[in-house]
Amino acid sequence: MDLVRHLGYFLVVTEELHFGNAAARLGMAQPPLSQRIRRLEEELGMRLFERSSRRVALTEAGRLLVPEAREIVARVERMRDLMADLARGDTAVVRAGVPADLGAPVLAALIAGFRDRRPDVRLSPAEMGTAAQVAALLEGRLDVGLLRHPVAADGLAYGPVLVRHPGVLLAEDDELTAWATVHLGDLAGRELVLFPRDAEPGLYDDTLASCRRGGFVPAAITCTDRAEFALGLVLSGTAVAFGAPAETPGVVWRPLAGTPLAWRWLPAWRAEPGPYVRDFTAVAVRVLKESAGMVDEGAPPTPRVAPRPATGFLA
Amino acid sequence: MSPGVDPLERVFRNAGVTGWLHAVDVDGGREVGLRAAEPVVLASVFKLPLLLELHRQAERGLLDLAGLVRVPAEGRTRGGTGLAAMLDDATLSLRDLAYLMMTVSDNAAADVLLARVGREAVNTLLDGLGLTETRVVHDCRDMLTSLWEDAGVADQAALMQACADPEVVARLRALRPERSNRSTPREMTRLLAMIWRDEAAGAASCAAVRRLMALQVWPHRLASGFPFDDVAVSGKTGTLPTLRNEVGVVEYPDGGRYAVAVFTRSLSTAQNQPRADAAIGAAARIAIDQLRTHI
Repeated sequence: MDLVRHLGYFLVVTEELHFGNAAARLGMAQPPLSQRIRRLEEELGMRLFERSSRRVALTEAGRLLVPEAREIVARVERMRDLMADLARGDTAVVRAGVPADLGAPVLAALIAGFRDRRPDVRLSPAEMGTAAQVAALLEGRLDVGLLRHPVAADGLAYGPVLVRHPGVLLAEDDELTAWATVHLGDLAGRELVLFPRDAEPGLYDDTLASCRRGGFVPAAITCTDRAEFALGLVLSGTAVAFGAPAETPGVVWRPLAGTPLAWRWLPAWRAEPGPYVRDFTAVAVRVLKESAGMVDEGAPPTPRVAPRPATGFLA
Repeated sequence: MSPGVDPLERVFRNAGVTGWLHAVDVDGGREVGLRAAEPVVLASVFKLPLLLELHRQAERGLLDLAGLVRVPAEGRTRGGTGLAAMLDDATLSLRDLAYLMMTVSDNAAADVLLARVGREAVNTLLDGLGLTETRVVHDCRDMLTSLWEDAGVADQAALMQACADPEVVARLRALRPERSNRSTPREMTRLLAMIWRDEAAGAASCAAVRRLMALQVWPHRLASGFPFDDVAVSGKTGTLPTLRNEVGVVEYPDGGRYAVAVFTRSLSTAQNQPRADAAIGAAARIAIDQLRTHI
């Protein structure tokens, strides 16, 4: 018997839990479908479904088979796709999601690094926020992504977490540029330009919570994922931004005292990694460390309040 | 003010004071100074070496920090805070007297403790630590008495009024380092650094000193320059007519520790000068920022 094809039938029945509906989806009549499921049960020596006149339910063995069958079917499909690409003379492609604010030099280093490691495979990067990457990864439109922490999505597996501590970008005539290091509390009353919450829901909330804890409640927040637009607001003195040092004349970067903000990145892929994902992850981790100043995630520092008698409780 | 002026000088001038400052990285040794080796009047900052000697004597078994002391209302050194301002007899331990002396600069508590440890013992400790410019020449009572004599008044209330007059202030011997409890900004930061590095006494004693300095209540001087929850500020103030001082240690969330000593003298004899108080914190932050520039 063609085990892979039979597993495919099995998966459709598990999704429909109705032989008639499953047969309709597969474009076949119900009796041959029922017969093939029985042959699969005979082949594996286990009953996979409890059948009654009204309903179909998975047995314990059937439940255990589902993830195994999914993986086998997906792998065989990918293998066929890969062979088909080669047969047509196409180059294999890795579709990778990258954050909008990765920056041109880092993106270039990422593509060059992957080309060096896998000259036979083309890297196809797509600029996407974390929310869009999660959806695309789950739907199979991306093979691998670079996500911003925190993110939680069932069905994804994650690579090593890297961290970078952003500083603050100020207009050069801002009085705060007099300081070598700036405290979050120094920014009080200023406006902030930040990536959109739609694109980075976890990190957006995380960043603003850290700002509030540090004494910085932005007077207004402008959201953009366009670095040039953000720098324009900084240059004009309208808002401050968080990030890495910018080369733009007129914009001054200062580190934040005590590194109160931690921006984390992590590679992610579907639970069954596609080909070349490991290659991409290895290259991405190296490039982000070498070109983007990121480091391995250590134990995150616990924010600490230093008590003072005059500002304590009931003082 | 011209941009070429030292930013520390600019802060002091804008607040109407002359400033003396020294700041040092407790662990790295880098330093920033302004007239840092000149003698300055300690005022109540002398309570810091006194506290240290108290703990050193306890280490040697000469006194029991938990031992109770009766402090009658009658004959207590007066002042605006703590037992010096309270009305009734009190009994409390040596270490709780130290708490009042350090956290609210209680003059009565300080004089009880100085009488217990001995003024010369404090100076001997300072010699042993190599702080030879730092001297304790009188207790709070003698200092106040000299102020009354110089101002030609008979009590503290009259002194308060008289010290609004610049000519009276100019006569006060207690405001001249050579006639008063004195040090230099540099020696004060050396003392603080030794306390923070557990070198000025045993580790437990140094920790007890640091605890009391962190419990000081005043927010208007050194602490005002660091309005950040994740920055710890410990200090001891000193105040006399036209003089506003604070020495302390500022600890950053990244582990950086900086000892700072700031001494100011104002041209104005007004007692309420929040800008002069805040200049101490502003100057300290500038100095510490300079220490951190190359991190």
